[in-house]
Amino acid sequence: MRLSASHNTCVAAKTPDTQQGTMSTTGSDLPSLLPALLPRLWAFALRISGDRHDAEDLVQRACVRALERAHQLQPGTSALSWMFTIVHSTWISELRARSRRNRSSTAWDDDMLETVADPAMRTPEENAINSQIVSAVCQLPEAQRVVMLLVAVEGLSYIEAAEVLEVPIGTVMSRLSRARQTIGALFGVRDSQRAKVAVSSKDPVS
Amino acid sequence: MKMDSILLMAYVDGELSAEECQEVEKEIAVSPEAAEFVAQLQTARLPYAEAFAQQKLPPVPDSLTRTVAAMARAHAQRTATPGANDATVAPDAFAPPSAAARSRLRIAPQWLAVAFVAGLFCYGAGMRYLPGLGSGPNATPPATLAAANPEASSWVAAAAGYQQLYSRETVAQVPVNAEVTAQTVNEIQHQDGLDVRIPDLRAAGLTFKRVQRLRFHDKPLVQIVYLPPQGGPIALCVMKEARPDAALAEQHIDSMNVVTWRHADLSYALIGKPEGTDLSALAKHISDSNVQTLFGDAGVSMVAAN
Repeated sequence: MRLSASHNTCVAAKTPDTQQGTMSTTGSDLPSLLPALLPRLWAFALRISGDRHDAEDLVQRACVRALERAHQLQPGTSALSWMFTIVHSTWISELRARSRRNRSSTAWDDDMLETVADPAMRTPEENAINSQIVSAVCQLPEAQRVVMLLVAVEGLSYIEAAEVLEVPIGTVMSRLSRARQTIGALFGVRDSQRAKVAVSSKDPVS
Repeated sequence: MKMDSILLMAYVDGELSAEECQEVEKEIAVSPEAAEFVAQLQTARLPYAEAFAQQKLPPVPDSLTRTVAAMARAHAQRTATPGANDATVAPDAFAPPSAAARSRLRIAPQWLAVAFVAGLFCYGAGMRYLPGLGSGPNATPPATLAAANPEASSWVAAAAGYQQLYSRETVAQVPVNAEVTAQTVNEIQHQDGLDVRIPDLRAAGLTFKRVQRLRFHDKPLVQIVYLPPQGGPIALCVMKEARPDAALAEQHIDSMNVVTWRHADLSYALIGKPEGTDLSALAKHISDSNVQTLFGDAGVSMVAAN
């Protein structure tokens, strides 16, 4: 199917460029790449775990595991998406361990649902919509939320997201369609409540 | 809905050929369900990346940046000079690294001990030059640390930083090998020249897990790890320092509580997370020699320790 290799078009244009810097790497490059990848690993870990202490522990563990397996990083693989794979699988292991220990999963830190207002660049309405978008994604079920973070936020292709999540590409797409359906329903209601939302469905910003 | 949701998503994203689009549009015309699905997907075409770029996230913690930098540096050095860690870490200092155990960071890999040694350089520098070192809003500034003698205390800071890497799982699965432990303690006493024994802290609820011979500034550093009933592991670290005895002192280094004292030319640091065990009370028991010995009594004069 043609779409299988394509990027989701609702993703901002940053996608290919941001990953270019980490392309064509080998395992021996990993130690020098890790510090630069840290901010994005940190953001991803925060967003999937919803807790800064968990996120810090998660990134540390993932870096240890990645360095131990650096030789497995194939030339031409994006180091970033490879690191996402390790962060994600470490997090899944942690969640399983927690449920075995009968502990509840993480409680979301409400602070993280907030977005920073940027008065110089945006109207209050746009800021409000940004907050609503973040909130809508954060409220998705776990599996759909992670797919949205990888594809729509981090700009991974469906194939890369499938590799990160270690699921078939069809699963990525069906989770994505369900996630977007949920968000569409949510924003559709808001649309009808207000006359018009600044972000038009006909003319997405990206 | 007859039509595949993935096909409809591709339609919304403009990824279909003209022919395929016509097929989908025919379906939409006759299926209100498909039409609604497409409308929802179109509504969900939102500037996600832009919205998340505005998300208020806490900055990368300094402690994480430091730790990852130290790990990366240590790994790069190890790769560049194979066997380099043999010089700094005794081969028997770690529990056997089985493949299964390594997979979940149950035990620290050998090169991480080198990261510990490598990390102390940035750690020591950070302690001296960064006034507000700490992670997160609740971090306590390391006020007393290195104030009197930076050189003497920097090993404590490095040991505390290393201990922060340990989760409960890191050591929970490590089997205690009495024979290896006894041998390690023997090497500490006779090769490293440190009159150190393993205190039995079971009365305080702490299970002995492991003793390791590490190096700091090319001098032996002993790390004895215990597991409390709950929470992260607790470490008793010891280094030789030929200086006057010092009374118990408590301090905070990053997220760790540390109680230090010095006796008979040995500096001790008891390191653990703030929650759970009362480290000060425990340190008092140990420093008063109010505890039994698990390993290390043979061949060492009790007078020296008391």
